[in-house]
Amino acid sequence: MSAPVVPAAEASPMGEKIAELLHELSVRPFSENAAFSLTNYTFWLIIAVLLLLVFMVVASRKAKLVPSGIGNLAEAGVELVRNSICVDIIGPEGKKYFPFIGTIFFFVLFNNLLGNIPPALPGTGTVGTTFTWAIIVFLVYNGIGIKKVGFGHYIKSFVPAGTPMWLAPLIFVIEVISHLLRPFTLGIRLFANMYAGHIMLGVFAVFVAMSIEHFSAVGALVVPLSFLMQVVLRVFELFVAVLQAYIFSILTAVYINGALHTGEH
Amino acid sequence: MQALGAGLAFGLGGIGAAIGLGMVGAKTIESMARQPEMAGRLQTTMFIALGMIEALGLLGFVLAFVLNAG
Repeated sequence: MSAPVVPAAEASPMGEKIAELLHELSVRPFSENAAFSLTNYTFWLIIAVLLLLVFMVVASRKAKLVPSGIGNLAEAGVELVRNSICVDIIGPEGKKYFPFIGTIFFFVLFNNLLGNIPPALPGTGTVGTTFTWAIIVFLVYNGIGIKKVGFGHYIKSFVPAGTPMWLAPLIFVIEVISHLLRPFTLGIRLFANMYAGHIMLGVFAVFVAMSIEHFSAVGALVVPLSFLMQVVLRVFELFVAVLQAYIFSILTAVYINGALHTGEH
Repeated sequence: MQALGAGLAFGLGGIGAAIGLGMVGAKTIESMARQPEMAGRLQTTMFIALGMIEALGLLGFVLAFVLNAG
């Protein structure tokens, strides 16, 4: 999915600008050896992780019973993940999985939020990052299920007890497909949300640039409206950044819960 | 032709997801108005459903780009 090339055959000024925008948002390696090079996205991903590290170290350095300042912010995030994601969905044993789900939540959150600061790109805006996490989640929740009841029982639990014999193979195949689709949708959702959001912002920026270049009476109206839309979309993007981190971790918790409580649904 | 297909993929995908999202949102608000004490749990469940529906709409978006690139 890197560098979707837009056919600029007609070469309208608008199409050129859009193609430029898509090039700006595509994955571009810094060096010639493309396979192992740092890309523009991984560069910002590393910065986001370093920021997260600094944030957490500063927040937990002076741990108090009643935190203040930055510690308060970190505690609010940690409590959100621990209480309303882990414990509410998995149950009391969910605290055991807090380190895993919390890591995902804060990683995604910091990458999404950093992507909203103009020169930066969201590290989660590429399929590389999101599918890596999605595959890790897939392996982890299946591993948890297999560890709990054993491989044979786990596979058997795909077909609910009491299913007629002739229906069992069909349900089994459907279940397997739905499990295999999970990492795919998990990865696509996060990637497409971040990527689409930035394209949307970029398109309105292109409107502003085009209207200033080819100035007319209509253009004078388009500039302030597009600019206002940019501001509104920026705020919306901040909301989406938090929401996507929340959804990614909540779905991870749902999948782990499903693996832990097999055969009970 | 490819651009047409890309537009259709996103447009039709968007319609389905939009109907689903509308239903989820409407029913959640309805349930929350009926039982405000359940609001927290309803919201969590709503976000799960929202995430799953949204993925289908976004598949259309990604497909549009794949079609445009190919």
